[in-house]
Amino acid sequence: MTPVILPIGDQGLLVRFGETLTDEANLAAVALASRVERAGIGGVVEVVPNLISVLLRYDPRAIGFERLAGEVRLLMAPAGEQVEDGVERSIEVVFDGEDLDELAEVTGLTRDAFIAAHNARPLRVLATGFAPGFIYCGMHPDALAVPRRQVVRRQVPAGTVLFAAGQTAVTSTPIPTGWHIIGRTGFRNFDPGANTPTTVVAGDRIQFEAVAL
Amino acid sequence: MTIRIVRAGPLTTIQDAGRPGQLRHGISASGPMDRTSFRRAGGWLGAASSAGIEFTQAGLSFLVEDEGVSCAFDGGDFTLKVDGVSQLWPTRVVLGPGSVVDILPGGAGNYGYIRFDREIDVPVVMGSRATSSIAGLGGFDGRALGKGDVLRFGAALAPGRAPHPHAAEVAAGPIRVTWGIHADGFDPAIRQRFVEESFVISNQIDRMGVRLTDRANVFAGAGILSLVSDAVVPGDVQILGDGTPIVLMRDHQPTGGYPRIATVVTADLDRLAQLRPGSEVRFEPITVAHAQELMR
Repeated sequence: MTPVILPIGDQGLLVRFGETLTDEANLAAVALASRVERAGIGGVVEVVPNLISVLLRYDPRAIGFERLAGEVRLLMAPAGEQVEDGVERSIEVVFDGEDLDELAEVTGLTRDAFIAAHNARPLRVLATGFAPGFIYCGMHPDALAVPRRQVVRRQVPAGTVLFAAGQTAVTSTPIPTGWHIIGRTGFRNFDPGANTPTTVVAGDRIQFEAVAL
Repeated sequence: MTIRIVRAGPLTTIQDAGRPGQLRHGISASGPMDRTSFRRAGGWLGAASSAGIEFTQAGLSFLVEDEGVSCAFDGGDFTLKVDGVSQLWPTRVVLGPGSVVDILPGGAGNYGYIRFDREIDVPVVMGSRATSSIAGLGGFDGRALGKGDVLRFGAALAPGRAPHPHAAEVAAGPIRVTWGIHADGFDPAIRQRFVEESFVISNQIDRMGVRLTDRANVFAGAGILSLVSDAVVPGDVQILGDGTPIVLMRDHQPTGGYPRIATVVTADLDRLAQLRPGSEVRFEPITVAHAQELMR
C-alpha cells in the first residue's frame, strides 16, 4: 500500500492510502494526520483525516505544494507502526431500528444475536465529518458486512444509529442516508456553541451498549 | 440601529469571511459566494464590519427603522433605488431613519453584497457569523432572511478613508481548473472532451453547488462509480452517478464519494459563482503553481 500524494485544488494536498476501505489504510491515515498535526508544519492551516486519506489545507503564500509534499513524505510512519489508541467511550443505544429484522435475516441471526454480535467488541472511530458530528465506526467482521440500502431515506433524525458496509455510524444532525437504521441514541457529538464542537475523534474506541427504551 | 426586511429573494443570507478549519467537525467554511465582490463592497466603506448581507438575483428590499447607517453595495449588476431614487452600482450611501432600499434584478450576476459601517448583531457560531445553508447554523437563526425579519446592529465604527466606488472589470474566458483527485480514473478521451466541450450553467444553483448541463454528453455512460469518500474543497467538480457534473461551492458537503475530475482555481471561483443559468462555461486546465500565482 504505497501512499499517493496529490494536489486537491490550489490550497490543498491529499494523501491517499489505497483505493478501498481497510483497517490498514484507515490506521495509516489516522496516524499520518496525528503526526502532521504534531509536526506543526508552517503554512498548514487544517489537517483532516478521512476514511483512507488525509487532507492538508495550506496557505500557498507560506509553503508550496512540492515542499509540503516533501515534509509529508518524511512524516510517513514505518509500515505496521503501532498507533496509540484514542479515548475509550461507551454509547448507549436503543436497538429498535426499523431495519433490524431485515439485517438479522440477511446475516442469518436472530434479532438478539445480531445485536449481541454488533456489540461484541469496541469499534474504532474510522473518521468523522461526513456531516456535523457524524462518526463512522468499524470494522465489523465480514459475517456482519451488509451493503447499503437500494433506496435513500430523505431524512433520519439526529441520534440515529446506522449500519452498512461493515460499519456503524451515528448521526448528530438530521441527514439523508442509504444506510440501514438499527437504533437510536441520546448521544450527540455536535454542539456548535462549544469550544470544541465535536468531541469524538478518529482513532477513539467506542463500545456500543444496548439499553431498554 | 435596526433594519426590517420588506422583501427577500431566495437564499438571502448573512455572510462574513466564513469558518474555515472545521471540516473534521463536518462543517464547510461557508462565506460569500463571490468573495471578491464582498471584499470590494467593504472597501468602498473604508471601515466595514466583518459581516454583510448576500442577496441573490431577485434582489432585496429593506427599511431602515431608526438611526442612520452607512453602507456599500457591490457584486454582479443590480438596479438600486433608495427612497425611489435610482443609484449607481456599485455604490456607497448614507441611509437616514425611514429610508427604503430596493435592490431589483439587474443585468448580470447571481449574488450581490451589502456591507455596513457597524456589525450585524447575530451570534458568532464556531468563530463566524456566516450562514451555513447545509448545516443550518450561523447567520440569522441558521437560515435565509425573509420578509419581516429584523436585523439589529452594533455601534458605528470610526469611518475610514475609502476610494470612490467603481465597477470591476469583468474577466472573460474559460474557467481555469487544476486536475482533480480522481482525474486519472477517467478515460483519457473523457478528460480531453472535458476541456474541449462547453457546459451550461443549469437552473439548479445554490450555495452548496452549481449543477452543469452536459450538452455534449461528455460524461454520459462514463461508468461513474462511487468511491471511498474523501474531503471536499470548494471548486471541486464532482461527477454524479448519472453523469451530471456539479461544481461544489462555499456550503459544500464536507466529504464526497463521487469522482472529482477537476477543481476550479481559487482565482476563478467567484466568477463561476456569478455566471447565470444558461451561461456557457469552458474549463481550461492549468498547473497548481500557475493557479497560486493567479491568487496574488
